[in-house]
Amino acid sequence: MNPIYVRRRRTDIVIRGLCFGAAAFGVTWLALILVTLLYNGLTGLNLQIFTENTPPPGSTEGGLLNAIVGSLIMTVLGVGIGAPLGLFAGTYLAEYGRNDKLTSVIRFINDILLSAPSIIIGLFIYGAVVVPMRGFSAIAGALALAVIVIPVVLRTTEDMLLLVPNALREAASALGLPRSLVIKRIAYRAARSGLITGVLLATARVAGETAPLLFTALSNQFFSLSLNKTMANLPVTINNFVQSPYAYWKQLAWSGALLITITVLALNIGARILGAERTAK
Amino acid sequence: MTDLSVSVSANGHLASQQPLPEAPAKVTVRNLNFYYGEHHALKNINLTLGTNRVTAFIGPSGCGKSTLLRIFNRMYDLYPGQRVTGQLMLDQTNILDPKLDLNLLRARVGMVFQKPTPFPMTIYENIAFGIRLYEKISKSEMDDRVEKALRGGALWNEVKDKLNASGLSLSGGQQQRLCIARTVAVRPEVILFDEPCSALDPISTAKVEELIQELSENYTIAIVTHNMQQAARVSDKTAFMYLGELIEFDDTSKIFTSPTDRRTQDYITGRFG
Amino acid sequence: MAVESNVVDAAGPYDRAKALSAFKLGDLTFYWITRLSAISVLLILGGIIISLIVGAFPAMKEYGLSFLWTQRWAPSADPPVLGALGPMYGTLVTSFIAMLIAIPVGLGIAIFLTELCPQWLRRPIGMAVELLAGIPSIIYGMWGFFVLGPFLANTFQPFMIRIFDGVPVLGAIFAGPPSYLSLFNAALILAIMVLPFITSISVDVFKTVPPVLKEAAYGVGCTTWEVVRSVVIPYTRVGIIGGVMLALGRALGETMAVTFIIGNSFRISSSIFAPGTTISAAIASEFAESDGLHQSGLILLGLLLFVLTFFVLAAARLMLLRLEKKAGK
Repeated sequence: MNPIYVRRRRTDIVIRGLCFGAAAFGVTWLALILVTLLYNGLTGLNLQIFTENTPPPGSTEGGLLNAIVGSLIMTVLGVGIGAPLGLFAGTYLAEYGRNDKLTSVIRFINDILLSAPSIIIGLFIYGAVVVPMRGFSAIAGALALAVIVIPVVLRTTEDMLLLVPNALREAASALGLPRSLVIKRIAYRAARSGLITGVLLATARVAGETAPLLFTALSNQFFSLSLNKTMANLPVTINNFVQSPYAYWKQLAWSGALLITITVLALNIGARILGAERTAK
Repeated sequence: MTDLSVSVSANGHLASQQPLPEAPAKVTVRNLNFYYGEHHALKNINLTLGTNRVTAFIGPSGCGKSTLLRIFNRMYDLYPGQRVTGQLMLDQTNILDPKLDLNLLRARVGMVFQKPTPFPMTIYENIAFGIRLYEKISKSEMDDRVEKALRGGALWNEVKDKLNASGLSLSGGQQQRLCIARTVAVRPEVILFDEPCSALDPISTAKVEELIQELSENYTIAIVTHNMQQAARVSDKTAFMYLGELIEFDDTSKIFTSPTDRRTQDYITGRFG
Repeated sequence: MAVESNVVDAAGPYDRAKALSAFKLGDLTFYWITRLSAISVLLILGGIIISLIVGAFPAMKEYGLSFLWTQRWAPSADPPVLGALGPMYGTLVTSFIAMLIAIPVGLGIAIFLTELCPQWLRRPIGMAVELLAGIPSIIYGMWGFFVLGPFLANTFQPFMIRIFDGVPVLGAIFAGPPSYLSLFNAALILAIMVLPFITSISVDVFKTVPPVLKEAAYGVGCTTWEVVRSVVIPYTRVGIIGGVMLALGRALGETMAVTFIIGNSFRISSSIFAPGTTISAAIASEFAESDGLHQSGLILLGLLLFVLTFFVLAAARLMLLRLEKKAGK
């Protein structure tokens, strides 16, 4: 056979092998992480976790109730504040401001905020909320999460609305619909599953965020529902417990980590299934 | 095939079968010019749409016929950089008045598009949606209106058992008739058809054409079409447009048998376009 | 029907006008709600910049530019001595090593997914890689601390140290006692974390290559690798660089995963197996217990990080925009 061709084919096979190896490498990490989590987290996963508050140092009784509730509250608040803002902002970009200079500026800035380090968001809320309020608080934590939610929802909302065919908007306008109703009744409806996908992805993103809570909501050893005080939350609790010398705390941290990961992955998978349904249609 | 119970009960005449008495003007176009940015897309158009008449607009692609249609309901307002001059009256209303309420105008001038555009909701909601915008009526009245509109769109018999199915589940031809029914439901005065059959198969096309003729008893109709036979079949008057100009505007029978302009003749005999 | 519609037409316009005027206010309100929401994005950016500058101001005044090249970090000294050199070095080195690993692997996965992978395997593998991006960063940190760290310290590092012992330069890079906490461990975790970004953007831009181009190359007898190397990658180069920059932006600012395994040492060591720190790790581990000048210094670090990532991310976006324009043509 032609020696040049033999060499070319050998290169091709080697590269193919390397690409396959790379894919295997990526999948292996995911598997390794999940296995470790399951192995370490499952042993401690029991009802106590959901019914009892975090234990004091050294104790071997207790759960993660206050942290779970706190995480739920702050995530719901954060998404509740951030998602509508992101949704409306995305609506402006896709519907009203298509040929606007303002739109391209906002889109650009938003894309940067989308990947901005979350610890910077924490510093921002610390300066803008914690310092003026003279104390760490759950509401500061929720606001930090909201600032992370906005760009995610804005981006997906704009993308999804741009996928709605213009013919549909024209048809609605041709019936005499005012612009806002064309958007609310027709465009939102046509893009609905995509919009929900965006909110789910944003929720998944903030559910596991730790850095922005470290010095906004801080954490709380006790059960608290007050938005003006520090509030326990899973990520920061895990962070504190896992680095502690107490075996029981470490065990709790693993169980909490398993809980968070399952939640986040479920949200991600749900969002993707919903998104896939859309494209299949 | 279609729902005769409604169309026959109407006491109007079948316009297309009659010799054409001049109808009173519904829409009057005077010295109309249109610009996309720098491009002069329509040049000095003059014509009238007769009340309850079907007027067809024919001409090669890019001649401006769709553009003209989209001025009648100011659809071009949705996009920036487009500009119009001249006069355009709907009865006594100046359509080009910048202060005119566009939603109100569009409720009076309905439009059916090239591709069927059912809204992402049920068949029933597709119709009820437009009605609810302007009127507060009871559930039973609404049921009644939806049925009437669907009969008006010659669709009732096909969908009466699945009013809660999605509008998107219908076939292309049914979707287009649903869009016509939706337009009729709002009770416009003028209906604009922008190549309504170009995405449909021949049987669906025949149904829609029949429907257009029936609608002309009650509505003033303008239709843009690529299909000359279609223009000949459904319209009373035909306008031939070329490169943004209105070349010839006359009774359909005259345009297709003895056009006065050489370009019209070339086009309808298939020498270009 | 004709009669009925005439009657309604007579009454129609009036009623409609009334109905529609009710929408007018709603229409205007909705417009302004969306517009103000959109503008809030700009306000957030402005807020971030202002709050960082205000918070960092005392430290800026105290240390000036020397902050950038002072290695000593002694917040409890009197007066405190603060320098950003250690964290800046750590941030850049970890991100650099992470990109060194993640770029080839990420591109490899992308090539595998678009050109080699059988159809049925595409979705599961693509999904697995994207799920990697969804795992919260604190989980990576824990995993790095308890699993990866020990493995590297007990197996990988002694191996590398033995190989490069006595070799100039490289010997110093891999020198030192094996440790759970090191720049290299942090970089490896970072690489795994940014892998999905590189892969998913590369897959997206690979899909913009017109099939005819690839077919033409296969048509003259190119192998898969040759098609990728001489058609796909050149065609999508700008997009790939954009994706890499985006991943770099992530790596520079990643906090929790790094905080766990970098050791939080402000001393700069020549060995990548020695502990170090990054800007975000320094902030995460010290901020809550800091005050006064110390806190201001940490905020100043944050400002540096923000400026750095801002420019990297802006460059990434500009490159991706350029590719979008090309694809749109």
